[in-house]
Amino acid sequence: MIEFPVIVTAVVSSFLLGLLAMGFTLQYITLSVPNLAYGTIAFFTTYVTLTVTLLGLPPYVALPFAFLLAGSISFLLYKFMAFLRNRGMPLTALMISTLVFDFVIGAIMNIYADYISYTMKVFARMFSLTENDFSVSLPGGLHMPGILPVSMLASILIVLIFHTALVKTKFGIAMRAVMENYSMAGVQGINTERVLGFSWFFVGGIAGIAGSLYPMWFFMDPTVGTVMFVSIFASCVVGGLKSMYGSLVGGIVIGFSETFVTYGLVGVFGTWLWIYKSITPMLIAAISLMVMPQGFGGLVSRLKER
Amino acid sequence: MIGIAVIVSGVLMFCCVYAIVTLSVNLQYGYTGISNLGLYLPIIIGVLTVGVLPGRLALAVYGLSNLDFVNDNAKAVALLEARLQKDPLTSVMLLVVTLIVVGGVSAFAGYLSGYPALRLPGDYLALFMLCLGESLRLFGMETMSLAGGIYGISIVNLFVFLGPYADLGVISFIMVSAAIAYIVCDRMCKSPLGRLLRSVRDNELTAQCVGKNVSLIKKKLLAITFAMLGVAGSLFALFTNAVVVEGYTRSDFSFWPWLMMVIGGTGNDSGGLLGTGALVIMRRVMIVSKNYFGFLPFDVLWLEPILLGAMLALVLIFRPAGILPEKAPHVKRPYPKTTEEHRT
Repeated sequence: MIEFPVIVTAVVSSFLLGLLAMGFTLQYITLSVPNLAYGTIAFFTTYVTLTVTLLGLPPYVALPFAFLLAGSISFLLYKFMAFLRNRGMPLTALMISTLVFDFVIGAIMNIYADYISYTMKVFARMFSLTENDFSVSLPGGLHMPGILPVSMLASILIVLIFHTALVKTKFGIAMRAVMENYSMAGVQGINTERVLGFSWFFVGGIAGIAGSLYPMWFFMDPTVGTVMFVSIFASCVVGGLKSMYGSLVGGIVIGFSETFVTYGLVGVFGTWLWIYKSITPMLIAAISLMVMPQGFGGLVSRLKER
Repeated sequence: MIGIAVIVSGVLMFCCVYAIVTLSVNLQYGYTGISNLGLYLPIIIGVLTVGVLPGRLALAVYGLSNLDFVNDNAKAVALLEARLQKDPLTSVMLLVVTLIVVGGVSAFAGYLSGYPALRLPGDYLALFMLCLGESLRLFGMETMSLAGGIYGISIVNLFVFLGPYADLGVISFIMVSAAIAYIVCDRMCKSPLGRLLRSVRDNELTAQCVGKNVSLIKKKLLAITFAMLGVAGSLFALFTNAVVVEGYTRSDFSFWPWLMMVIGGTGNDSGGLLGTGALVIMRRVMIVSKNYFGFLPFDVLWLEPILLGAMLALVLIFRPAGILPEKAPHVKRPYPKTTEEHRT
């Protein structure tokens, strides 16, 4: 029998990871450059949640601010990369340029954590906001933490809004055109810079929301972005390297497997195995590369062709 | 006086270790075009090997197998160092065996990692390696029995037989290793092999069309560079006399060397060395000057990445090819110029 907290861990991490993986893939598709600062930008917003909580407000008030903050940073990053790209820089140099943001944002996050610890005398490293969350009583004496329905609803809602925007709006269609063929979209009169800038802002915002929800159940530290980057990347590999929705599914699969596969193995081999939980995503990604190199996205494409 | 000696030896050691790492990344990316952000994967392999192998080997050699190198670490290290002090031959043998094993294991890992290189596009290969490195780091941090896990362990100083000159011995050894690495890389890149690597970087398809086995070249190159990186990691551990896997972060041992190469000049070994020297000295200056900023409500070391980020941004904007850009390889003509060629 799986304990309730394990189920909550699996569900929350799956949905958040799904969102993060989808965003990472979308950014990759638009510029063909992996954003190495993605994890850091996403988890920077956890400090927005912490600040809101320290001000005595409910933690979920932080969501719009997290969206705006992460979106703005992401937009700035895009502008920097677009500037370099227009100067004829190769793709690898653009990838390195994302490191600039990774360093700077990571340092600002650490400075802010130090500052909060120093001035407010609170834990700003290895902190969790579980106690600030609401809970719903369930039959059987169980208490469902608020983050469980919130993370699920937020993820589903964001994906629905995003999908509708992509399929039904002119801007969404323009975005898809730019993703398919940047030059051709420009020839057709689409303002490619504006479309890409907006998509980076939106995707950054989504990542920010996922990041700001993270400390509601898990322990947060400025290094979490680094560790979670492994899971995000593994999700993208499992989902298919260039499939947005595939990555979403990949994130959910990785999130569940990370918890349940390790939990199952712990049952067989002993509790010592639990500490290796964070290695599971890379193992799954490596197996996925060998068995199904195109990931879920490729699988769906093949099924469609039939 | 001792303080200055410590700072100078630290700068020298960091310069030499990072020089080996930067030369490796230059071989991988600068000359062959393989993007690998997981440089710390082989470095951690080297560090873990140094944490696992020489101490246990020495315990077996001296019949002290009743001691556990991790759990009785302090006692084991003290006993072994007392014996090795009088036994230079065993010390040298242990050093040689360790470096051979580090090179072999790292090269094998590099050759194996060539397989995803064939399946993944360039950028994703970089990320795959990065994540593999992070996974190995987490594995090292969680596995107590290997090298003390998150707490780390002390290792045996294999230069202890030099007595008061042990530290000088380590530094000299590291400097000689860096010099050998530079000479080998320089000779390699100026030879036909270097031109072959450049051809793979510039146009893989053309290289394949003229009969070059690109995938095999990439695998072999990864094996060589991984061996170099593994040795660099083991040298670093030998200098610090400790193995703490947690300290081998992607930032310090993957991103920094990349920045050193980008700032110095991609595809130019001298540029890589210049970038290495500049960044190492900058970091040391920041660490030393940390004490003057105690009034700030945060650790001043966090300003270092911001400064570095700004520096990198400036280099990318104003000198995208680095301080010393790549030079076209000089090719000796196999025959003198003809009259026609002289005219044109």
